[in-house]
Amino acid sequence: MKQVDTVTGSVVCAHCGDPCADGAIVVDERSFCCTGCSSVYQILQSHDMCDYYGIDPKAGISQRTPRYGADAYAVLDDPSVMHRFVEFQRDTTIHLRFEIPSMHCASCVWLLDRLDRFDEGVQSSEVDFMRKTVRVVIDTRRTAASNVAMLLSQLGYEPLLHGEGTEAATDHERRLRLRTMYIRIGIAAFAAGNLMMIAAAQYLAVGETIDPTLKRVFDLLSIALAVPVLLYSAAPWYRSAWGALRHRTVNLDVPVALGISTLFVRSVIDIAMGSGEGYLDSFAGLVLFLLVGRLFQQKAFDAVSFDRTYRSFFPLSVRVERQGAEHVVPIDQVSPGDVLHVRNGEVIPCDAVLTSAAAFVDYAFVTGESVPVECSDGALVHAGGRVVGRGARLTAVKNVSQSYLASLWERNGTKTDRRSYMDISDRFGKWFTAFAIAVAVLGLIAWLPDWQMALTVFTAVLIIACPCALTIAAPVTLGTAIGRLSLRGIYVRNAVTLMDLTRITAVVFDKTGTLTEAVHRVQVDHRDLSDEAWQAVQAVAAHSTHPISRSIAGSSVSSNVSDVEEVVGQGIRGTSHGYQVAIGRREFVAPGDNQESDTTVAAWLAVNGQLAGAVRITPTLRSGVRAMIATLRKRLAVVLSTGDSDRDRDVFVDAFGPGQMHFEQRPHEKVATITSAKGTNGRVLMVGDGLNDAAAMAAADASVAVTDGTSTLVPACDVVMPAVELQHLPRLLDYAGIMTSVIKASFIFTVFYNAVGLGLALAGLLSPLITAILMPVSSLIVIGISVFGARFYARRSAWE
Amino acid sequence: MGIMPLLIICSILVAGGFLVAFLWATRNGQYDDMATPSIKMLFDEQRPASSETFQD
Repeated sequence: MKQVDTVTGSVVCAHCGDPCADGAIVVDERSFCCTGCSSVYQILQSHDMCDYYGIDPKAGISQRTPRYGADAYAVLDDPSVMHRFVEFQRDTTIHLRFEIPSMHCASCVWLLDRLDRFDEGVQSSEVDFMRKTVRVVIDTRRTAASNVAMLLSQLGYEPLLHGEGTEAATDHERRLRLRTMYIRIGIAAFAAGNLMMIAAAQYLAVGETIDPTLKRVFDLLSIALAVPVLLYSAAPWYRSAWGALRHRTVNLDVPVALGISTLFVRSVIDIAMGSGEGYLDSFAGLVLFLLVGRLFQQKAFDAVSFDRTYRSFFPLSVRVERQGAEHVVPIDQVSPGDVLHVRNGEVIPCDAVLTSAAAFVDYAFVTGESVPVECSDGALVHAGGRVVGRGARLTAVKNVSQSYLASLWERNGTKTDRRSYMDISDRFGKWFTAFAIAVAVLGLIAWLPDWQMALTVFTAVLIIACPCALTIAAPVTLGTAIGRLSLRGIYVRNAVTLMDLTRITAVVFDKTGTLTEAVHRVQVDHRDLSDEAWQAVQAVAAHSTHPISRSIAGSSVSSNVSDVEEVVGQGIRGTSHGYQVAIGRREFVAPGDNQESDTTVAAWLAVNGQLAGAVRITPTLRSGVRAMIATLRKRLAVVLSTGDSDRDRDVFVDAFGPGQMHFEQRPHEKVATITSAKGTNGRVLMVGDGLNDAAAMAAADASVAVTDGTSTLVPACDVVMPAVELQHLPRLLDYAGIMTSVIKASFIFTVFYNAVGLGLALAGLLSPLITAILMPVSSLIVIGISVFGARFYARRSAWE
Repeated sequence: MGIMPLLIICSILVAGGFLVAFLWATRNGQYDDMATPSIKMLFDEQRPASSETFQD
């Protein structure tokens, strides 16, 4: 039985759904496109887990791309490496956490939740779909961490193994933090609900006298309910306020802590003296609203991990030749002089010298140059380069932490230094606190001969001046906005970033992978060739591992080729179907031909000694990029700064204008470009994609990293944006601006609202009933403005 | 009116029961991940032999 694509009519792989080439592998009458897919099927079949295919028809992940070798996982059992994946450990029970980027549908969840059926030693496994992680509990007596990673890989869910991995521990902390938050909210909500019920009885009993015993029960119950709120639920504000005071500054949490503690103390005194019902219901409600604001903030900022270093780009381990045998060694244990084997597609972990004949190294992450560099024996290769084509044998000359890449990273300095702008709320908090205390003292003095009234007014002012609505406005607005943006795949580091975006006056773009597609289109000009001759060229090209040859060859197989000769650094020659084909440098394919060289050509083709065509590598602009730049140029300075050579100048000149383009920039030159842009234009936004931009991103006032979705390698930055959204960058800036206005609107509203309350307080009219109405209403209105504003503008002005 | 204290204490006890249930659920990790369970509830453990479901 074959699965057939209803559109094209071709046979599709029963595992991954990709069309099968002619050489489909047939197992149990089902066709598979490659051995990888069929072996995943066989594993599932042998464990009776084929329900996997029934849940989501697009479940399987194509296995055609190479994976880590089996030996890459062995290193996981090394305690120094394994701890990065361990969340929790007790005796022989270990909780491991793996990131699985390829997780994408319900079938994935189904299968990954049932890893215990594949391995005896797995006690349970649990998927977090949003974070694309799986937590696996294993018994180390019966299985090992490497077995689990291996199993995941065999099932097609290759876990992310990179050199950093403190995420397991921080994720555990995050969950505990969130649980504490929920418990604080639960207790505050419980107390607030019951306190309101009790208070309502007293408010409604106007004119009637409440039975004294009942009144006593009410009073004691109220205090008993309020104490946990004061001591536990409101604890974050005391801690934050105390922390600020100890550093001799004032943040917005200081007046909040002052307000809520005054509210509690005054209420208890009122109740004890029998002079009033107290404000305990307002107190619990207030803490509840404040906590809800915090929850918004927490959830939005936990959404994505931003703190990565260059080590996240690196593999965990590398193959090292020692005493004639190949060992898999954690990269930190590599020392100068070690002989390393780096296979196709793997990243070089440290600066090294090439000792095999030739290799192609793709430095896209380091320099931004998109075309792989050809290196010959004895050449120095840098950490961060990706070996393309053939594997390479290298001798390490530095250890991992001393490599060029590490130094590049360290030169960035600390990112926190440039955050000279304090959080908008904290700036506001400073003068707000001063103002509130001043008014309270003035009120006290004004009523002075009457001590009791004076103290009443003093506390009432502190209570009403508690800037609860202000503390809620910024986190709720920005939290909602960040949440809305993350629905579109745009992740913002924190609220301050969104504010920073509104003050941008210049934008600096990186080119490769940012403005252009990460993979450049190889354009082969073969108009002069007959179809057969072109097939011969492809057949010869398929013989080479050179990236340009690979792209000429496409999917064709190297058959019927003879007399192949590959000259390192020159090109490849061969005969196929009677055609003599040469691909490579001009001197190589057509010796003696002295035409001026064309720098836009990456390789030449010759058939039977005649120059027959040229291979050009042209960058393709992402869709909408041109219009986006035009929009930005209307109000901002726009600059291009790229590591690529200027062969593509023509593609960009009309978009950027002649004076605004900088080519062949090394990372530190990009930093200089940013610095000079800062000098002339003010605040600079850097938009880039690779590690080569990391230094520039840190130097800029704000940074956006563009990802292709396929790559999980995102440098440290403020905003992560999928490539398809890049055309909406101006809208993102607009949206950030509108969010600032929404927060300001909330601020203005609360200032007026509190002024009215303040008037009542100073007149000594702030009764518990009025407080019970005033305070929650103001919080609710602010939450309303914030949430509605963020959502409304996300829908209207920005996108849909 | 004598019934009032009793009623209030009863109502607080009931609410307290819910609070305890909430605390228990939170500590157990019920609120850790709100997205995945919504996918998991669609799975049917009693699916018949797997080979049948494989064919469309």
